[in-house]
Amino acid sequence: MTTNTKKQVPCRDGLWNTPSSPGEKPQLIGSKCSDCGEVFFPVNPVCNNCQSQNLKEIKLSRRGKVWSYTTVMLAPPAYKGPVPFDLGYVELPEGVNIYTRFLGAEPGTFKIGQEVELDIDVMQRGAEGNEILGYCFIPVRE
Amino acid sequence: MREVAIAGVGLVKFGRYDGQKGRPYKDIYELGAEAIIKALKYADMEWKDIQVAYGASMFGGLGVPNQCTSRLGMPGIPITTVEGACTSSQQGMRQAYLDISNGLYDVGLAFGVEKIPPGLIADTLAPVWQLMMGFNLPGAYAIETRRYMEERGATEEDIARVAVMERKNAIMNPNAFWYQGPAITVEEVLNSRMIASPIRFLMATANADGAAAAIICSKDKLKSTAKTVTIAASAHATAPYGYNVLGMSSHEKVNPKCTEIACKELWEKSGYGPEDMDVIQLYEAMASGFLWDAEDCGFCGPGETARLVKEGYFEIGGKKPANTDGGLMGRAHPTGATGLAQIIELFFQLRGEAGPRQVPGAKIAFNHCHGGGPNGLCHVLKR
Repeated sequence: MTTNTKKQVPCRDGLWNTPSSPGEKPQLIGSKCSDCGEVFFPVNPVCNNCQSQNLKEIKLSRRGKVWSYTTVMLAPPAYKGPVPFDLGYVELPEGVNIYTRFLGAEPGTFKIGQEVELDIDVMQRGAEGNEILGYCFIPVRE
Repeated sequence: MREVAIAGVGLVKFGRYDGQKGRPYKDIYELGAEAIIKALKYADMEWKDIQVAYGASMFGGLGVPNQCTSRLGMPGIPITTVEGACTSSQQGMRQAYLDISNGLYDVGLAFGVEKIPPGLIADTLAPVWQLMMGFNLPGAYAIETRRYMEERGATEEDIARVAVMERKNAIMNPNAFWYQGPAITVEEVLNSRMIASPIRFLMATANADGAAAAIICSKDKLKSTAKTVTIAASAHATAPYGYNVLGMSSHEKVNPKCTEIACKELWEKSGYGPEDMDVIQLYEAMASGFLWDAEDCGFCGPGETARLVKEGYFEIGGKKPANTDGGLMGRAHPTGATGLAQIIELFFQLRGEAGPRQVPGAKIAFNHCHGGGPNGLCHVLKR
């Protein structure tokens, strides 16, 4: 996360939790169906699998595996980041796939099955100079 | 349910009507009206014969279908606007088919029109935060393509061969974007610039302008019963849990795809199977889509399409001619018109009017169309 005096706002509230202590790291927030056990991201009021409304919010694993990806060479209209960039899905241990950007490595170097972890970054500058934060996944470096 | 025939069709050549580089300028309403007028003429019918209409446009915006029909005079009939992403106009045709087969009306019109510039278009298929993250249609196809290659062993060369095959057909189709255009080779496709890996420029459909229309009616309303083409069966499905907005496998789930659901219903309803089809249309906004569609529709087993394409199985003259008009690679993609353009090519094939693209003696045809949402539509047409 960059450090400066600009106000930082998430691209959408409720996608991840803001750490309350310095040692804590952000996690994506999903919904788990109490009836069938399916997990969703982002938070969903109704289970897509069994239509139960008996869901509870859970914090999702920070680490997962690249399920598939592409290196995008053209900037889509609403996208303001660097080009090329990697886009794809991460498969989390909870059994949910997350649509995400892949950062922290040269575009085009990710592999299916590679271990990646969650990060929060500045995606673009919004109205009033605010920095708009997004989530992404980066290579795991032990 | 009574039998429903396609009485006439009209296409405005897919191209660019932007007034640039010596090309003519036509607005979207003119394009739509032109296709409708052609379809009426083909069917030997008049505007006042139409009792119900379904007009489609994906990017056209407010009121476009009504503005197309108003070019012929406001007829007072119900005209419903249909937007179902890339299946839009085929959804409209299906509604007209349902109306007529159930006896609500005798003669209906379906049409689709689009006018879109090249490049990535802002869309509403994903929430704003995902658009900011870079969500885009070629990218979504590319992610699915990479996964398909991983699971079923296809190569970039296999994808390129689909584009080469379809371009070859388009060169013979006066209504295709690439009519009389240059043939392309596998090497050229693989050397074209990358859009979203592994999808390259020549593996992607081109945005285009164009329009398509069809008059659908009960058989007793046909002005000529020679070479009657009927809609033998129609099925439409949306994806169940486990798929993303493009109907692609964003989860490792066991639910069938919308294409598989629609095809199952279609084969059951029609009494036919893939083996009975003389000529087929598969939907592929990126060439790789052809590979999984042929498998999802039941024309071959998982991972078999690539080999069959290489062997010429899907070429005109092959065992299962597909996308004889050039498909989305060669016909290009005025999104709202594409679904009907697919049907129109099959109509020409079944009537023996496909010229140099003709599949000799074609009697039964299959169509698959796919759109964001996601939704999948399938039809069997019969002479």
